[in-house]
Amino acid sequence: MWVAFGLAGALVGLMVIPVISLLESEHSLRQHRTRCVIAACFRWFVAVACQLRIVSCRISGIGHYDPGASQLILANHPSLIDVVILISLFPQADCVIKEAVTRNVLMRRSARIANYISNFDPALVLASCVDRLRSGNSLLLFPEGTRSDPDAPLKFKPGAAEIALRAEATILPVVIDCEPTFLSKRDPWYRVPSRMPHFDVRILPPLRPGDLVEDVAPRRRARLLLNASLERLFESALA
Amino acid sequence: MDNEALYARIKLSLIEQFDVDESIVSLDANLYEELAIDSIDAVDLMLQLEEWTGKRISPEVFKDARTIRDVMDALTDP
Repeated sequence: MWVAFGLAGALVGLMVIPVISLLESEHSLRQHRTRCVIAACFRWFVAVACQLRIVSCRISGIGHYDPGASQLILANHPSLIDVVILISLFPQADCVIKEAVTRNVLMRRSARIANYISNFDPALVLASCVDRLRSGNSLLLFPEGTRSDPDAPLKFKPGAAEIALRAEATILPVVIDCEPTFLSKRDPWYRVPSRMPHFDVRILPPLRPGDLVEDVAPRRRARLLLNASLERLFESALA
Repeated sequence: MDNEALYARIKLSLIEQFDVDESIVSLDANLYEELAIDSIDAVDLMLQLEEWTGKRISPEVFKDARTIRDVMDALTDP
């Protein structure tokens, strides 16, 4: 099964995406088309995985997403599959990707043409994220910075809160519940769970940093408070 | 800028901007654990240091730096 998905991914990454870049010379259109292809593949992946009863998936609150607006989409990260589900839901969102992806032979070309943000340079990541939001794009972030530890309380890194404050962004919280754990940080990829994992993806109403913290200045204090209040928001939604 | 002046600048930033208690600042104190600055503070500090010294700290070195001494080594290395 994984092999089939892997081959399909490689085929798209090595054949379809380069064809797009040949046909389309204009950067923003090339980026748009590439993201459409990636999202279509991920929708197909989710549909097939659900159809074959490998996982089940329930999405609610998609009406809170506004494709025409700039929203900072924040999600918790229980499983490797999360990003696949999220990109299938938010096809044109900017994403921050691991530097390793930009070096991976199968993924680097798609990632580059899709114009995703590499996490290589911390100062640059922050600035790029804020710029993309200000220019009207939506940005997808996992504030944990990595997959969740199933045994520990949710711990957000301060980057997402900082970006929200600097860009004065509208935050779209996406709460992902996966039961039992599947492809989490602890589970090896080949481990088959005892029963079918169910993904409950809840998109909550959008909010502004000012809705969660009283003063958005000074920023350092505001960041600590906003981060803590985002953690609480997700913790209580997951409880 | 010599090492002593650089250390003084870093120390001043930590105290004034990042609310670190002067008594716990030392060359070998762990920035994240002992001085309790977060990763965003660290990025802000790095950008300031780059501006002061005119030198560039590479992201790899920056991610590995844990103490003021590490940061200063990164800035003084040829």
